[in-house]
Amino acid sequence: MTQIEGLRPGEIVLEHASRSFSVRADRGRTLKELLIGKRRAGGPPPVQALRDVSLHIEPGETVGMVGRNGAGKSSTLRVLAGIVPLDSGRVGCGGQVVSQLELGAGFGRDFSGRENIFLNGALHGLNKEQIEARLDAIVEFSELGDFIDAPVATYSSGMFLRLGFSIAAHLDADVLLIDEVLAVGDEAFQRKCEARIAEQIAGGATLVLVSHDAALIERTCERLVVLDGGEKVFDGPVAEGMPFYHRLMGTAEPVRSP
Amino acid sequence: MAHRYLFEQMVRRELRQKYRGSALGVLWYVINPLVLMGAYYLMFGVIFKAASEPDYPLFLLVGLVVWVFFSQAVLSAAPSLLDHGALVRKARFPRETIPASVVTVHCVTFLALLALLAPVTLAIRGTLDVALVLLPLILACLFAFVLGFALAVSILHAYFRDVAPILSAALLPWFFLSPIFFRPESITEQPAARFVLEWVNPVAPFIGAVRDVVYGGTAPGLAELAYVVVVAALVLLGGRALFRRLQGELAVVV
Repeated sequence: MTQIEGLRPGEIVLEHASRSFSVRADRGRTLKELLIGKRRAGGPPPVQALRDVSLHIEPGETVGMVGRNGAGKSSTLRVLAGIVPLDSGRVGCGGQVVSQLELGAGFGRDFSGRENIFLNGALHGLNKEQIEARLDAIVEFSELGDFIDAPVATYSSGMFLRLGFSIAAHLDADVLLIDEVLAVGDEAFQRKCEARIAEQIAGGATLVLVSHDAALIERTCERLVVLDGGEKVFDGPVAEGMPFYHRLMGTAEPVRSP
Repeated sequence: MAHRYLFEQMVRRELRQKYRGSALGVLWYVINPLVLMGAYYLMFGVIFKAASEPDYPLFLLVGLVVWVFFSQAVLSAAPSLLDHGALVRKARFPRETIPASVVTVHCVTFLALLALLAPVTLAIRGTLDVALVLLPLILACLFAFVLGFALAVSILHAYFRDVAPILSAALLPWFFLSPIFFRPESITEQPAARFVLEWVNPVAPFIGAVRDVVYGGTAPGLAELAYVVVVAALVLLGGRALFRRLQGELAVVV
């Protein structure tokens, strides 16, 4: 796999990207297989999650990504985030990449909310001073109040996600990769999240958003990428892409009131 | 090191997670090796006096503390990447910090035990000697050796789940073949057997070097010292190279 270097902050490039996954139940290979030198036969063939996908996203663009379950949306995000390597093709993201694939994935359950802010910030490559500078903004945004010093094990799931989003939203991202995690907390908080994302976009950040919520994508994104069976089947303005996507899914366009 | 702060945070996390909710908490890190050392002391120091070394308990304990650090650190590092699966699958960060933080926590325990044991040994044996200045170097090499070994074992276990069970099975005979409760020269006359016991087992020279300085009050032989430095460097570089080579697919396999 080759990583593309020297991109401008916020620029995303994917060139002829392909990636397949084995779908065996036990994904680990055993030592026996290694010694005998062959893999167990049988079982389903590998699934091709990405097939020759190319994508060029300019800094500041807002891109929604849609497709049915298993179309390769999450795989694309994991490839862009640098978590999963490609089988072939090249990938690159410029600047600070903040991925929200699962909010609070790295939380230590016995740590307080405040301690998790430091742990999570460190995972994103920030040092102590940089995190301290953002601490108040994160705590305030999360609306956790005094709970910020309680262990996150005592949090409700909504509080847990709110803290996760608040941290990710204050990391000065050049590239924001968000996977279906905006259904955070109550409606008021969701609006706040959207506003915060809009703020970051206004500040020049690039957004790639995976969601099944067509209305959300229409509100936040200008460009739409439709994936199907690991292939890119549409790439263009949201206004043209949505009808295409609805046809693909076999659902009529939602009826709009005049 | 760019990720120093992340490493610091991961060590804190490791300290807190392992014995969470237990009454004694982090004290378990010290209690476990102490119990192990007590049991071995009873076995080999009291019941079967395996060797006729002067102040035999100290001879035994100084060797044992090194072994306990090595074995406990690699044994807990082996499944560490799988234990942190959620993190590995969803976030991008240098994955070496996971096994490295495990080894570091065990190293702190080891240093605490050594800080208890060494002054007692030096006082009773009267072995305070300039050779003691070599101890930091030997300990640094020991840490590098254990870290390299732990990196290799943890990444291999992520791909081949037989590695940790094999390791834990191997550690018991390995313990008995290590010069912890005997000196190789006092149990065999055969040069070949002595060579194996002293040099083929990579842990042996580390035990020997620490024991020379703390228990014997002498500097380790040049061959032993060179072995310790070279093996530490080779194992660390080898372990790191293996880790970097294999870590690509980590998010998929854990």
